[in-house]
Amino acid sequence: MYKIYIRILCTHRRYIPKLLLMMKLITVVLLASLMQVSAASFGQLVTLKEKNVTLEKVFKEIRRQSGYDVLLSTNKIKTSTTLNVDFNNSTIEEVMNKIVSGGDLNYTIEDRTVLITLKEKSVFDKVLSYFAAVKVTGKVRDKNGAALPGVSVREKGAANAVSTSNNGDFAISVKEGATLVFSFIGYKTIEVEVGSKTSINVVLEEDANELKDVNIISTGYQNLNKKLFTGAATALKGSDVKQDGITDVSRMLEGRVAGVSVQNVSGTFGAAPKIRVRGATSITGENKPLWVVDGVILEDVVNISNEQLSSGDVSTLIGSSVAGINADDIESFNILKDAAATAQYGARAMNGVVVITTKKGRIGKPLISYTGNFSTYLKPTYDSYNIMNSSDQMSVYSELARKGWLNHSSASRAADGGVFTKMYQLINTYDATSGAFGLANTPEARNTFLSRYATANTDWFDVLFKNSLMQEHGISVSSGTDKSQLYFSTSYLNDNGWAVGNNVERYTGNVNAVFNLSDKLSLNFITTGSIRNQKAPGTIGRVSNPVEGKYSRDFDINPFNYALNTSRTLTAFDQNGSRENFTRNFANFNILDELGNNSLDLSMLDFKLQGGLNYKFTKHFKYDFLASMRYVKSGNEHKVRENSNMANAYRAGYNPDDSYIQDNNRFLFRDPAHPELQPVVVLPYGGFYNTTDDFLKSYMVRNSFEYDNTFNEKHLINIYAVQEMRMADRQTRSMIGYGYQYDKGGVPFIDPNIIKQATLNNLNYYSMNHRYDRFAAFMARAAYSYDGKYSFNATGRYDGSNQLGSSATARWLPTWNISGAWNIDKEKFFDSESLTKILNRATIRATYGLTASLGSATNSALVLRNASALRPYTNETESVMNIEYIENKDLTWEKQYETNLGVDLGFFKDKLNITVDLYNRNGFDLISPLRTSGIGGQYLTTANYADMNTKGIEVTLSGPIIKTGEWNWRSNLNFGYNKNKVTKLSSPQSIFSLVTADGGPQEGFPYRGLYSVDFTGLNHNTGIPEFINEKGEKSIDVYMQSLETKYLKYEGPTDPKLTGGFYNSVSYKGFTFGSLFTFSAGNKIRLNPVFATSYSDLDALPNEFKDRWTLPGDELRTNIPSILDVEAAANIDGKYPYNTYNYSTVRVADGSFIRLKQLSLSYALPAKILKSIGANNASISAVANNFWLIYSDKKLKGQDPEFFASGGVALPIPKQYTLSLKVGF
Amino acid sequence: MNRKMKKNKIFIYIACSSLLLSTSCKKFLEHQPDDRTELNSPVKVAELLANAYPHGNYLAFAEAMSDNAGDKGTTGRDLPNASPWNYIDQIDATSQDTPPFYWNACYKAIAAANYALEAIDKGGNTAEYSASKGEALVARAYVHFMLVTFFAKAYDPATAASDPGIPYVTQPQKVVEGSYTRGTVASVYENIEKDLIEGLPLIKNQSYRVPKYHFTTQAAHAFATRFYLFKKDYQKVIDHANAIFPASTISDNLRAWNTTYNALGYYELQALYTNSTEPANLLLQEANSYWGRNYASYNYGLSSSILPIFAAANNPSKKAFAYSNKIFGGTDVVYNIPKFREHFVKETISANFGDAYNMVPLFTSEEVLFNRAEANAMLGNNNALTIADIDAYLSKRIVGYSATADKFTEAKATAFFPALSVKDALVSTILNFKRQEFMHEGLRWLDILRLKIPIEHNSLDGKTKISLGANDPKRLIQIPQDAVAAGLAANPR
Repeated sequence: MYKIYIRILCTHRRYIPKLLLMMKLITVVLLASLMQVSAASFGQLVTLKEKNVTLEKVFKEIRRQSGYDVLLSTNKIKTSTTLNVDFNNSTIEEVMNKIVSGGDLNYTIEDRTVLITLKEKSVFDKVLSYFAAVKVTGKVRDKNGAALPGVSVREKGAANAVSTSNNGDFAISVKEGATLVFSFIGYKTIEVEVGSKTSINVVLEEDANELKDVNIISTGYQNLNKKLFTGAATALKGSDVKQDGITDVSRMLEGRVAGVSVQNVSGTFGAAPKIRVRGATSITGENKPLWVVDGVILEDVVNISNEQLSSGDVSTLIGSSVAGINADDIESFNILKDAAATAQYGARAMNGVVVITTKKGRIGKPLISYTGNFSTYLKPTYDSYNIMNSSDQMSVYSELARKGWLNHSSASRAADGGVFTKMYQLINTYDATSGAFGLANTPEARNTFLSRYATANTDWFDVLFKNSLMQEHGISVSSGTDKSQLYFSTSYLNDNGWAVGNNVERYTGNVNAVFNLSDKLSLNFITTGSIRNQKAPGTIGRVSNPVEGKYSRDFDINPFNYALNTSRTLTAFDQNGSRENFTRNFANFNILDELGNNSLDLSMLDFKLQGGLNYKFTKHFKYDFLASMRYVKSGNEHKVRENSNMANAYRAGYNPDDSYIQDNNRFLFRDPAHPELQPVVVLPYGGFYNTTDDFLKSYMVRNSFEYDNTFNEKHLINIYAVQEMRMADRQTRSMIGYGYQYDKGGVPFIDPNIIKQATLNNLNYYSMNHRYDRFAAFMARAAYSYDGKYSFNATGRYDGSNQLGSSATARWLPTWNISGAWNIDKEKFFDSESLTKILNRATIRATYGLTASLGSATNSALVLRNASALRPYTNETESVMNIEYIENKDLTWEKQYETNLGVDLGFFKDKLNITVDLYNRNGFDLISPLRTSGIGGQYLTTANYADMNTKGIEVTLSGPIIKTGEWNWRSNLNFGYNKNKVTKLSSPQSIFSLVTADGGPQEGFPYRGLYSVDFTGLNHNTGIPEFINEKGEKSIDVYMQSLETKYLKYEGPTDPKLTGGFYNSVSYKGFTFGSLFTFSAGNKIRLNPVFATSYSDLDALPNEFKDRWTLPGDELRTNIPSILDVEAAANIDGKYPYNTYNYSTVRVADGSFIRLKQLSLSYALPAKILKSIGANNASISAVANNFWLIYSDKKLKGQDPEFFASGGVALPIPKQYTLSLKVGF
Repeated sequence: MNRKMKKNKIFIYIACSSLLLSTSCKKFLEHQPDDRTELNSPVKVAELLANAYPHGNYLAFAEAMSDNAGDKGTTGRDLPNASPWNYIDQIDATSQDTPPFYWNACYKAIAAANYALEAIDKGGNTAEYSASKGEALVARAYVHFMLVTFFAKAYDPATAASDPGIPYVTQPQKVVEGSYTRGTVASVYENIEKDLIEGLPLIKNQSYRVPKYHFTTQAAHAFATRFYLFKKDYQKVIDHANAIFPASTISDNLRAWNTTYNALGYYELQALYTNSTEPANLLLQEANSYWGRNYASYNYGLSSSILPIFAAANNPSKKAFAYSNKIFGGTDVVYNIPKFREHFVKETISANFGDAYNMVPLFTSEEVLFNRAEANAMLGNNNALTIADIDAYLSKRIVGYSATADKFTEAKATAFFPALSVKDALVSTILNFKRQEFMHEGLRWLDILRLKIPIEHNSLDGKTKISLGANDPKRLIQIPQDAVAAGLAANPR
C-alpha cells in the first residue's frame, strides 16, 4: 500500500495541475485544519495590528475574519516568517499585496482561496536561469549534530552527484530550481528544493530499519561508503561496546565480533588479552591484530610474544598498547577481517586490523558530559577452588613425616619450610638465659604445636584480597561552529587494588580540533596523553626448567598464586596478632611483609601529537596529509627493601653462622680465586633497586590523494593513492641496583664481590639496547560501483621494512587484493513484494588476495652480537663477537592467500540481519625453526619454511527484534569457528615444549596443539604413575627433553575453535537491561601442575589427594599417584614421573565455557527531572562484569579456563560490580 | 591571491619533502633493526674469531667410548655417557656432550672463521688483518681435523684417498641449507695441512688479549704435532714440537703435579687445572658442557675396574704418579681427579637455571711432549731423545723424584713390556703414561683411533660384552641424522 502511494506521487509529479502540485510539494498551510466553522458571516475585510507576527498567524486571521484560505506554493517565504502588520479593515488584495511585496511573489485568488506563487518569469529570465548554475554548499549531520561523511548528494533528475567529506561538507553546482536528494545507507533519504538558497544544511534521521553500524567503514585510511567496500568487516559504535567498569578497551571486544577471540590470560591492568582475529597466522611470530587509532598504527612499546602474554612477567604490564585509551573517547571500532578489508595495510595485515576512531567536536553549543564509574571486585573464595583445608592438609603432612620427609634434620634446615620446619627450628633453639628450648622435644609438645596449625584453616584469599573500590571519572566537552570544532576530554582512574600490593591510577587527556580554514582547506589536530602509575608485587622473569619439566619463578609473591599454592596450615598472624614468619630461601618470610617490602612501581607516560591537513583541489579530488608523533616512556622500579625475604636470602647462613646453609645457599658467592673458602655474603646491607625503562618514539607521515566521483548517477568511482613512512625507535635500559638501603636515606652499599659475582656469571648489572623500526609503503586502491548493484575493488601495496636485516632484496614486498560485491536486492527480479517482505536485503561478497606480516626472523644478512666470553676469571674474559644468525639471503615476509566469501542478508525489513563469512587462508613462507645439517654453522635456524591452513566460518545474527516507541529489544548473536592446521613444518619439538599449557606446533596439527604423555596407570607396587615414554615403552621415566614426540597423545588445540557472544538489550521507556554471554569451545587446557616427587610443609594440595593410591590394588580405583617415602623417591632419582604426571593425559580438561560476561541495568532519567537539574541527559547504571561462569569442564575444579596461573604479575579477571553515572549538560 | 600563493607554497613544500623522503628511502630502510654489530674492522674480525673454536665438548663421548670407562653398576643411564659406551648412535643434537652437538659446535666455529676470512678479503687483506687471518686458517684446520678424526676413519695412507671424510667448508653459507659432500679423508687432510701451513706463520701472539684462548704460535705448533702424528709424518711432529719447546725448556711447562699440585685441595686443583695461568695449558676453550658436573658420577667412567692403571705396579716407571693421590670420591661411584671447574652462566641473577660451561684444555705441553717422544721412538733413530722427554715428564710426576733412581731406561720399558721390541715398548710406555695423564680428558680415544687399539667394554653384571676390533665400523661416530637427511652419506653400521 505504502509503496503504491509513493509511486503515484513520483510519477505524476510533473503533470499534475498547479494546485495539486502545491498541495503536495512544499509547505502546505492548510488552514482547513482549523475549520471550526464560525457563526459569524464572512466579510472580506481584515483587521490586524501586531508586531513580529508570523505569516501563519496572519493567514489564520485572514481565514477567521474573511473565510479565505491562503496557500503557499513556494518556499521563498515560510509561514514562520515574521512581519509587522497594521491592517485596519483592509481588503484581501491589500493584505496580499503587502505580504508579497519585495519578493518575486505573486498571488491569485480563486474560489475563496488565495494562492501565493512565484512570479512567472519572463522568457529572458527563464533563459538566464537555464544557464545559471547555482552553487550550493552545506553540511550534513545526524540528529546528534555529528557530521556525516560519505553521504551522497545528488541533483534530482540529473547526472550530478557528490558525496560529503569527512566533515560532512558538500559542494555541488545545480540548476536553479533543482532538488537535492540526500541519501545514505542507514538513514532516511530526504529531498530538498534548492530554490534560491546557496547553503543547505541537512539533518538526516536514522532509518530505524537499518543499523547505522554497518554503513561507514573506516579503514583507517579512508572512510568508505559501504557500497564501495567489499571486504569482511564489523563496525561497532563505541557507546554500544563500552562496558562500564572495564578499563582496557581491547577487552570490550570479547563476544562482540564474530571471528574475534579475546582470551583474558591475565586480568591485571595493562596486561593485554590474547586477541586473535580469525585465529593465528604465524607459528613463531605475533598473532595479535594491528591497532589503528585515528589512522595511525599504534606501535607496541614492547614486543610481547605469544607465550610471553601468559607468562606473568613484568613486561606484560605494558603489553597492551590501548591501555592508555579512555573508553569514553571512542566513537567507533571497525574490525577489518579479510584480505579485502585489510588490504590497505598490505604487509602488516595478516592478523586483522582493529581501527579505532575517536570522537570529534560537534557543531553546536558546548556539550559537557560526565561519566563516573564506581566498581568493586569480589574477593575470591576457597569455595570455588579445590584446595585442602588445614586439617586434611596436616594429615597429609603427617603421612609425609611418617614417610621420612619432614624429619628433624632435613626439615629444620630446609630452604623453604612451613610448620614442621618452624617446629624443628624451635626445638633447636636454646635460650641460654631461660635455659629452655623454644619447644620441648616431646610428642606432647609437638602435637600441641602442630594442632594450632591443623585448625588454622587460613583463608589466604581473605588475607591477600580485598573488596576494593575502583573509581573512574571522565569529563568531556564537545563544541564547535562551521569553522572549527573541538572535543576535549579528560579522565581519572583509580583502582586501590583487589589484591594486596596492587593498585593503579591513570590520567588521560584528549583534544581533537578541526579547523575549516576555507571551503577547500581544513586542518585537524589530535593531542592525546595518558599517565599511569601502577604498583604490583615484585617479580622476576619466569624460567622454564625442561630438565624436570616445570616452569619456575624465584621469589614469587603473586597473591593469587600464593593463595592457591600455600598450605592453609600456615598462618599470616601468630596468637598475639603479629605477623608470623616461616622460612623461604633460608630466610624469614611472611607474605604480607614481603608484599610490603618487595614491590614494583610502574609509571608510564604516553603522549601523541597528530596533525592532518585536507585540501580539496576540486570537489572530486582531494589531498590529505597526516603526520603523527608518539612518545612513550615507561619506567619500572623493582624495589626490594632490606627487610624483604629476597634481600635476606642473600645473607642467610651468616649471623648466625650455619655452615650447612652457607654451603647450600645459592645466593652466596664462592669466589673462584679462593675455591676452598666458604661462600660469602655479597649483599651485606640493603636490598635491590632494579629499574627497567622502555622508551618509544614513533613518527609517521602520510600523503594521500583521493578521487571520488559519480557519473550518470550509476557509476561510483573512488581512486585512492597513498605514500607513507613510519619509524619507531625503541630503547630499553635496565639496571640492577645492589645494596640500596631504603631505611638509611637511600644510600647504596655495594660490596665489590656482588659485581664480581655478577660479571663472572656473565650477568650484566646494567644494560641498554635499541630497536629501530623503519617502514615505507606505497599503496593504490580503486573502487567502482555500478548502479548500486555491483562493486569491484582492487588494491595494490608495496611495503618496505628494515626488520628483515640489511639485505636490499628481502626488504620489499608487494601485496594485492581483488574483491567484489553484488547487491542482489537492487536487481529488478528482486522487486517482488512477496520476496522483499521476507528478504529485503541481500549482498554477496567475494575476496581474494595476498596479505603478509613480518616474521620473527631478522637475518637476511649475518647477525652478529658482541658479548663477553663465557669464562670464569676476570683475566680470561674478553669482548667477543657471537654469530646469532648466519645469513639467509632468501629470507622474506610471512604471507598468506586469503579467500573470503560473504553474504549479508536482511530479513523482515531488517529486523533480522544475517552476515555469514566463509574463509580459507593459506599461510606460506611462515617463519619456523628449522633443523639443518649444521654444516653451514647454524643447526637450529629460522627460515620461511612452514605452511599453515586455516578455514573458518563467521556468523552474525542481529537485529532490532522489537522496536516500538516504548519497548525495544536488540539482540546480537555472533560466533566464529576456525580450524587451523600446520601443513608444513620441520621445527624440532621436545616433549616438554608440547605438553605445557601453551602447547606447541606439529605438522598436521594446529599451530599450538596440546599434547600429553600417555598415562597408562599407577604402578601396582609403588603407586608411581607410568607412561608410554619416548621409546614407546611403558615406563615411569619419560625424558622430557626428547625430540621423539610420536608417542604423545594429541589432546586438541590450545586456542578455542569456536568463540562467540550473545548480546541482548531490552529497553522499556528509560530502563535498559543488557546482558552479554560469551562462549568458547574446542580447546584443551592443561590443569595446574600440583604433583611432585615430594612435597614440603608449604604445599597446598588439592582435594583429590584424599583419593590417592595408598595400597597395592588401589591403582584399579584411582589415578591419583601415591606419596612416596624417602627411599622410594631416592630409587627414582633422576626420573621425574610426578612432574610428568602433571603433563599426562589425566591432567587435561576441556576448555569450553559459557560465561555470563556482563549484566547491566541502566535508567535514563526522564526529561522532567533533567530539566530540574539543568541537564540534557542523565543515566545511572548498575553493571556486573564477569558475573557467572555458567559452564566449564568439571575437571577444572575452579581453575579459570581462560586464566593462566603463571604467577608474577598475573591475576585473574575478578567478579566486578560497577555503578555508573552519566550526565550531559 | 596572496593566500592562495601561500597555500601553494605549502603544497610544494609537502610534495618536495615527500619526494625527498622517497629518494632517501633506501637509506631510510638500510637502518639495522637493532643493536647488532657489523663486521667491519680488524678489531671486530679478531673478536669474531673467539668463536672460531668449538664451544661444544667431545670429552664425554670420547671418554665413554675409550677404555677409560668402566661400568660402575649404578642405576644412572645418562645418554651422553651410556650411549657412547654402548656404541649407540646419539641423535639429539640439542643435548650437550653428544656427538651431534659437538658436530654443530664445530661447524659453527668454522662458519665464524669463514665469515672472518670473508671480511678480511673484503677489507682488502691488509696487514692489519694478517694475524687474524692466521688464526682463522689454523682454527679452521683444527676444527676440521677434530671432525674428521671423530666422524671418519683414522688416516691411513693406503685408504685415505677413498675413505669418506667430512665436508671441508671454506665459504660462509648464505642460505638456509647448503649442499655439501664428504670428500675423502685424504682431501680433508690436504685442506687441513694447507690451512695450517698458510696460517701458522701469520699468527702473532701479541695480537691476543687472552692468548691462552686463541691459537698462539705455540698452540698452533702443538696442533701440528697432533696432526702430523696422525698423518704419521714423525719428523714434522718433532720439528713443530721443538719450535715450541727447545728440548730443555719443556719441563718448566709441565704441570707441577709432584710439587704444587700435590699440596692443593679439591677446589684449588679444579680451579688451577684449566686456568690460563697454568703454563701447561697451551690452548683452552670454553665449552657448553655438563661434563664437569657429571664426569665423576657418570655410570661409565673411572670405575674400580679402571682404577688399577694408577697403581705403581702397573706403570713402567714402577712408581705411582702424584695424581693417584688426588683421586677423590671415596667410592667408585664418584672417583674423579678434579680437573674441571664448572662455570655456570645463570639466566638471571637469582635463577638457578642456566648453561654450564667447562674450560677444556685442547692442547697441553704434556701432549706435545708425548707426541715428540712417540715420534722420536717411531723414527727409531734416537731413543735418548725419547727417554729425555720421558724423564722430563717423570720428574714432574713422581713424588720425591730422584734423577738417578727414577731415570727411565729402555730396560725399564722392555721389562714392563717383555713381549715388545724396544721401539714398541717405548711407544707403549708413552701410551701407558698418556692414558693416566689424560684421564677424563678424552685423548685416550684419539690414540685408540690412531693406533687402532682394540677395545672391550664389559658391564659389571657381565651381561654386556662389546669388543671393538681394529677396523670396527662403530669406531666412527655416525654422521648426525640431520646432516644425513640433508644428503650426506652416513657411515656404515
